[in-house]
Amino acid sequence: MKITVNGREVEVDPSKPLIAACHDNEVDVPNYCYHPGLTPVGSCRICQVEVQEGERPPRVVAACRTPVSEGMIVDTNSEAAHETRRECLEFLLKDHPLDCPICDKAGECTLQDYTYAEGQSSGQSSEPRQNFEKRKSLGDKIVLDQERCILCSRCVRFFEEVTEKPQLTVAGLGSRSRIETFGDRDLTGNYQGNITDLCPVGALTLKNFRFKARVWNLVKKGSTCGECSRGCSVSVEVLRQGEVKRIRPRYNEQVNRWWICDTGRFSSDRANPEGRVPALLRGYSGLEACEVEDALDSVTSAYRAHDGHLLVVSPWVTVEEGEALLELAASLKTEPIFLSPTPSELKDDLLHTGDPCPNRRGLMDLGFIPKSPEEVRELLSTAETATLFGERIVELIGPEPLDELPTSLRLFLFDVSGIDAPAIAVHCGIASWVERGGTWVNIDGHVGRIQATRPAPAGVRQPLSLIEGLLAAQEAVQ
Amino acid sequence: MIPAGELYLLKRSELRESHTLKVARKDGAYSALESILEEKRDPAEVTLVVKNSGLRGRGGAGFPTGLKWTFMPDPEKDTRRRYLAVNADESEPGTCKDRVLMRDDPHCLIEGCLIAAYAMRLEAVYIYVRGEYRLPYDRLQAAIDEARAANLIGDNILGKGFSCEIHMHKGAGAYICGEETGLMESLEGKRGHPRPKPPFPAGFGLWGQPTTVNNVESIFNVPFIINRGADWFRSMGTEASPGNFLCGISGHVRRPGVYEVPLGINAKTILDEYAGGVWKGRSLKAWIPGGSSTGLLPAELIDTPMDHDSIKGTGSMFGTGAMIILDETACTVRASKVIARFYDHESCGQCSQCREGTQWLSEIFSRIEDGHGTMQDIDNLERLSRNMAPGKTICALADAAAIPTLAVIKHFREELEAHVKQGCCPIKTRQESEVLA
Repeated sequence: MKITVNGREVEVDPSKPLIAACHDNEVDVPNYCYHPGLTPVGSCRICQVEVQEGERPPRVVAACRTPVSEGMIVDTNSEAAHETRRECLEFLLKDHPLDCPICDKAGECTLQDYTYAEGQSSGQSSEPRQNFEKRKSLGDKIVLDQERCILCSRCVRFFEEVTEKPQLTVAGLGSRSRIETFGDRDLTGNYQGNITDLCPVGALTLKNFRFKARVWNLVKKGSTCGECSRGCSVSVEVLRQGEVKRIRPRYNEQVNRWWICDTGRFSSDRANPEGRVPALLRGYSGLEACEVEDALDSVTSAYRAHDGHLLVVSPWVTVEEGEALLELAASLKTEPIFLSPTPSELKDDLLHTGDPCPNRRGLMDLGFIPKSPEEVRELLSTAETATLFGERIVELIGPEPLDELPTSLRLFLFDVSGIDAPAIAVHCGIASWVERGGTWVNIDGHVGRIQATRPAPAGVRQPLSLIEGLLAAQEAVQ
Repeated sequence: MIPAGELYLLKRSELRESHTLKVARKDGAYSALESILEEKRDPAEVTLVVKNSGLRGRGGAGFPTGLKWTFMPDPEKDTRRRYLAVNADESEPGTCKDRVLMRDDPHCLIEGCLIAAYAMRLEAVYIYVRGEYRLPYDRLQAAIDEARAANLIGDNILGKGFSCEIHMHKGAGAYICGEETGLMESLEGKRGHPRPKPPFPAGFGLWGQPTTVNNVESIFNVPFIINRGADWFRSMGTEASPGNFLCGISGHVRRPGVYEVPLGINAKTILDEYAGGVWKGRSLKAWIPGGSSTGLLPAELIDTPMDHDSIKGTGSMFGTGAMIILDETACTVRASKVIARFYDHESCGQCSQCREGTQWLSEIFSRIEDGHGTMQDIDNLERLSRNMAPGKTICALADAAAIPTLAVIKHFREELEAHVKQGCCPIKTRQESEVLA
């Protein structure tokens, strides 16, 4: 079907409302209650555009509840449409606290954006603003500010339509309406965080992001979540090249659409580990800091001095690192193994697969053999040298079993952060998934890209460069 | 002088025990239904009679009832279940006509429902009764039970092969559930939030099925039209608005009440002849023609025929035909404040304009009435009302708040200005000083 939007003839999907037709063709139409992932309700009335159908005179309509029709002429910038939007904004701002300077949403709040865009700088309301609960805790993850809320009901519909377990409702009538949980209970489930992304204003905020950063100071890079084999597309957001402050979903039609689970979202808390070191070497007084080259030398000389090598890689290594590690396994004459922990109880019907291996499919395709932590422990007991390579490998095997390994085993650990187990001869720090690039292949074969959002701490090397260092030394011997 | 026209709507209710099946049947109830079933009349032809009668909906909008019935899809082509929902959630301030009909003549309503169901070829009727209407609800429920026992409701009615079930539903006190899509949401067990249109109820109504929503009084007229024909019906009222209607008149009158009058009767006649004129020998200051959502009119316009088009000509609306009379001692600002507060209280809260606007209007009216208003406030009232309506929201509740506001500014601007200039309600102050003197 063809319609004309702002003088440009475009092809549109007749099953979608007019607002989607505009958005698909990169024409902005303001919206609050409308979200492409939720049923349109047409309640905020901000998406006003002027349309002309056939011979009928032009009229201003709510684009989210207007079906497209062949030959429709749409003007999103007509004076009448702007006027209606300005009127609507005036009503929306009547009881809004305008506390943008202390609001975490400021900078990415569409109420703020469209108010500026429409040039509405003064209000006529002289009544005291309505008071509601300003910081209502909705459990351990989210805080609700009922005063900022513009009652778009996206959060209500999210629980009704996406998780299919309704938890929120609009309570009260008319101007006394506010968002509440049923029976004032805390929110539950692993998808709560999405409502803070859906919220067009600062009404729903994450407890772990409140007052932590101004959003315009965040550096945002598209990446892929590593918490399970779904590999949801995410945006990793780092404050001034330092800490990861939050992780948010990034739209991906094939994988996660607009959503991510809270496990993935709150992995931001784990993305800033302390005590990162470039390299440690076992000396007389335990693990001591050393140059990375010295650590690699120590590893390769041990490779030469012993037989019975074991190489276990983490399911977090990328396809590119996996290819290099295959070469290393070949030169060590050992099978390529990757650690495959048992699926967790976090599995659900929406996104989380319960399988903590973001690159399972990629490693399987390369020829790596999955082994459970128990099997790996078995293999460790018979090996002479063992190289454990990749982010989270200590955590996924379990620190206690590693602690119990005999010192006769020469254990080389390449992980973001390590432990002080007696068997560890060398620990090389590596760049984490927010500090390196590469690809993971998700459970359905979808290739997800990870990107460096911040630099690794000084001296900490990229895994690929470490593997290349090891390979170069091996080749020199052969 | 009271016109000599025929009364039919309230005729039966003058009988003793008129709400019982025995008395009602003796008086001819269900005879229209019986004749339709006996003659196996074509449903489309029944619809056509109602359409030709020119009956206009009595719920407020005045949409032709028969025409509305024809919007239902052809059951041969669209095999979905179909419903009739009867709107008995009479909550418009001033309006109390349906209460009388349900209380005193429930069998006529049931007969009307069955004929409408026959005409639209559907088998389930829902009557959504305002929760506060306890006696009318109980009477209607008792009447349904009696009718069912007499095989007038249910399967194979009177052995003629037509089946129809009538269900009752009690509202929980929300004005917005009287809006047809809000009513359907409420019937489905959800919050009474009006739905955006399109889709219209005839295509996507109750539980997504084709549905017609009619007012009690509209349905009540149907058996009479069937019995006596469209031409008889057209002999009453005006060309564009035929028939009689129930005028509920309230406010500062001697005899408030519900009166059956022909459409097109002069409003002054209703006030003077039926309601006994303005009470306490006072003079008329303002009047509302059809429930609080229709605009206030000044005394000069009382000499206006009560029908849809004539009232529209004055800038107000016929609405539900519920006249509210304000005498010379009334303050129109205070009246507007009360009306605005009602709509603030009853807005469902979906649309931004209505949720915030109704509250805002109510706040401004309160301030002006209290003597703290400014001239800017009066301009704001006008501007906000124009920004709320018409057609800017999902349903017409925003219009219902905006129309009376614009009307009071149009006709009583001096009174608003007097409040602002004197810093108090001039009428209240004058009354207080009279009491002191």
